[in-house]
Amino acid sequence: MNVDTKLMQKKPTGSRMGKMSNETFITLFMIVMLILVFGIAALVVPNFYLPQNMLNLLANNWFIVIVGIGVTFLLVTGNFDMSVGGVIALTGVLSVYFCQGANVSQNVLANGLGLPYGVAVALALLCAMGVGGLNAFFVARLKVPSIIVTLGTAMLARGIAQVITQGAQRNTSLPDVFGFIGTMAIPATTIKISVLVMLILVFVAFIFEKKTVPGRRTYLIGANSEAARLSGVKVTRHLTSLFILSALLAGITGILLASEFKAGVSNRATGYEFDALVVALLGGVSINGGRGSVLGMFVGAIILSVVTSASTGLLLSPDWQFILKGSVTFIAILAQRFALEHRKV
Amino acid sequence: MQPTENVLEIRDLVKDFPGVRAVNDVSFDIKRSTVHCLVGENGAGKSTLIKMLTGAYARTSGRILLNGEEYSPRSTRDARQRGISTLFQELNVVDQLTVEENLTLGLEDTTFGFLRKTDKINKMVSVMNSIEPSIKPRQQVSTLSVAQKQIVEIAKAVATESNIIIMDEPTAAISESEIARLFTLIRSLRENNVTVIYISHRLDEIFELGDYVTVMRDGKHIDTKPVSQVRDRSELIKMMIGKTVFEQYTPRAEEAKKTTLEVKHLSNHKLNDLSFDVHEGEIVGFYGLVGAGKTELARAIYGVDTYEGDIVFKGRKLQPSPDKAIAAGIALVPEERRSQGLFTILTIRANIPVMNMKKISRGGFIDAAQEKQVADEYVDKLRIATSSTEKEAAQLSGGNQQKVVLSKCLFADADLLMLDEPTRGVDVGAKSEIYAIIRQLSAEGKSILIFSSELPEIVNLCDTICLLYDGSMKAMMRNGPEIDSEKILHIVTGGE
Repeated sequence: MNVDTKLMQKKPTGSRMGKMSNETFITLFMIVMLILVFGIAALVVPNFYLPQNMLNLLANNWFIVIVGIGVTFLLVTGNFDMSVGGVIALTGVLSVYFCQGANVSQNVLANGLGLPYGVAVALALLCAMGVGGLNAFFVARLKVPSIIVTLGTAMLARGIAQVITQGAQRNTSLPDVFGFIGTMAIPATTIKISVLVMLILVFVAFIFEKKTVPGRRTYLIGANSEAARLSGVKVTRHLTSLFILSALLAGITGILLASEFKAGVSNRATGYEFDALVVALLGGVSINGGRGSVLGMFVGAIILSVVTSASTGLLLSPDWQFILKGSVTFIAILAQRFALEHRKV
Repeated sequence: MQPTENVLEIRDLVKDFPGVRAVNDVSFDIKRSTVHCLVGENGAGKSTLIKMLTGAYARTSGRILLNGEEYSPRSTRDARQRGISTLFQELNVVDQLTVEENLTLGLEDTTFGFLRKTDKINKMVSVMNSIEPSIKPRQQVSTLSVAQKQIVEIAKAVATESNIIIMDEPTAAISESEIARLFTLIRSLRENNVTVIYISHRLDEIFELGDYVTVMRDGKHIDTKPVSQVRDRSELIKMMIGKTVFEQYTPRAEEAKKTTLEVKHLSNHKLNDLSFDVHEGEIVGFYGLVGAGKTELARAIYGVDTYEGDIVFKGRKLQPSPDKAIAAGIALVPEERRSQGLFTILTIRANIPVMNMKKISRGGFIDAAQEKQVADEYVDKLRIATSSTEKEAAQLSGGNQQKVVLSKCLFADADLLMLDEPTRGVDVGAKSEIYAIIRQLSAEGKSILIFSSELPEIVNLCDTICLLYDGSMKAMMRNGPEIDSEKILHIVTGGE
């Protein structure tokens, strides 16, 4: 057999048209699901379709979307990050504590370190990244399952927040600048800075995962971490970066939420790690790693937002809201898996 | 029941999958108490045919007669009750259970849901003892070798009075001496009126063992005839791929070429003071039995496993880490393609460039058009059979998956390519294509290390042959007409 001629032959390459990938399929499927859920909500809830309400649907869940980015990336590598809720609380409380005036009151909860706001924020974010580093050390270096490690650090982070706030919150003797970023709107609109931050982060994350080499490595690790290592991917280093990134995003969320409420609350963001996980799964991210996208997660977050908003509109009590949210999530994920499995190959 | 001459008669059998006719109008007979070999390239339809016989797949149309009676099993359990057992490549034993528990698995006698000891167990144990006395009934299966696990399965088949046993590549993962024992066992099964349907890519085994051979190609039945009427290997290969393939080593002149790799006194948990040099354009083969240290040597050079001693590549000492080895110009085709080489849930396009992302990216951003072009180029160059580069690698056949892994390593532009079992589970056609690529690379001046437990592969391909036994280098020789396979087998099995 003559290889030389075979190696020379090149067919025109345009002929191999790819079919839609599974990921695109799921994202489209969930968009259809979103339209369906929205349609039902618009039928039963008065004024649901008004532009302002639709805008709110996009804006309401900004904090879940921001932490959802880090959670999605880690989920794609096959790892969980259950520490994001704890990190949000810790960072919020720390930003307040660092910023509160020093020795201004008899009340312990009113005294802080008296640092300038910028420094306080930077330090609080560093602490958040420290928690991420701790996660990375145990998961990437010592190979402890991520769900164990991050549940542990979640409690650790929230525990520290509780100690600093004595189990409650800190909200006094804060400079005015503290409340700006969380409450400010983009000039001439009602859109909060936080929502803008979310949109920018989603866009950047989308470019990162689809277009960049480190983004691709995230998928390689999730698809087969041993093959990734043997193909020259520095798996430990990459996972470390992602855990720190996820904690940083949770930290940013914590700063924004603390600013919005002008308070550092120790039980803030309880259960957000589950919401972030749910929106990622709704968006088609595989719990086994290797598949999923930030865009899908974003669609998932809007679905959750529609359901929450509709149940509020229907004046359901919060207890019933949980049941409705749970059922919709369950049905949506089942439908998605069913559709994927019965897709014609 | 009146015994018929044919234990199985397959008539106009068809199996359709969406878009593919995997088995296309196949008819042939299998005679009672014979070893009937089934050969064909990957994707020829052998596995699909077997799965219809064992009840794992339902047929699209056609008939199967078992002992002259209509046979259409609904499950593997059904098939076993009719006397057809299968020895799959991935053995059906449970590692955590004992041998005894495995023997009776699925056949337990129970009273109100509680297990009952019956003479069934004793019967199975005595069958197993007659085959292989060294296996203890109370031994945990995880402590057995692959060959011993096969024996447990065979014992189970025999004890449940199977009169047909299907074996799917039983010799793929066992050593030469174990193969000899397995063959003795198969011959004695035949004498005890058991029909064995035997699938293997190793054609020599067919001549050694088979009474009849059926060749399949592209889902069609090509021919069934007595093995004694097949002239030689190349006649079989011709039927399998429809054209003749020459596999023969042509000795090359020994020239003084630059040394690329120097391994000096390499030792670790498995390796024992190995030293050798590799030159530009040289193909060096490492041959030894399973456990001789071939994979461990490849992993040490690649920096996956730790070691003592020095490995110098292109004048520089190698740092022990795969990413550094790749950066230095070394690539490895690993032993286990699915777990170590391939990203099965990613597309072919995403698989090919992973070892050299720099080449398809600018400033960390992937050039999608270039990535696609590279994928198309390798699909053409290595003739990877796929409708699109957007297909997931999992959907390819074994041989094509291996070509994707090979593409990955070729795209790394390595000067030293290491291939660990490069053609395991790969069909004949793909095999000779892979060999041609290796020869081509060597002609371009690349150094190649091949780690293989298939002697013909080593002898057909390599300039230098290194024999490993228990982690030590027992001999290093130049390939040539005077090379003696018997002597090689003698050395790698521990002889002096």
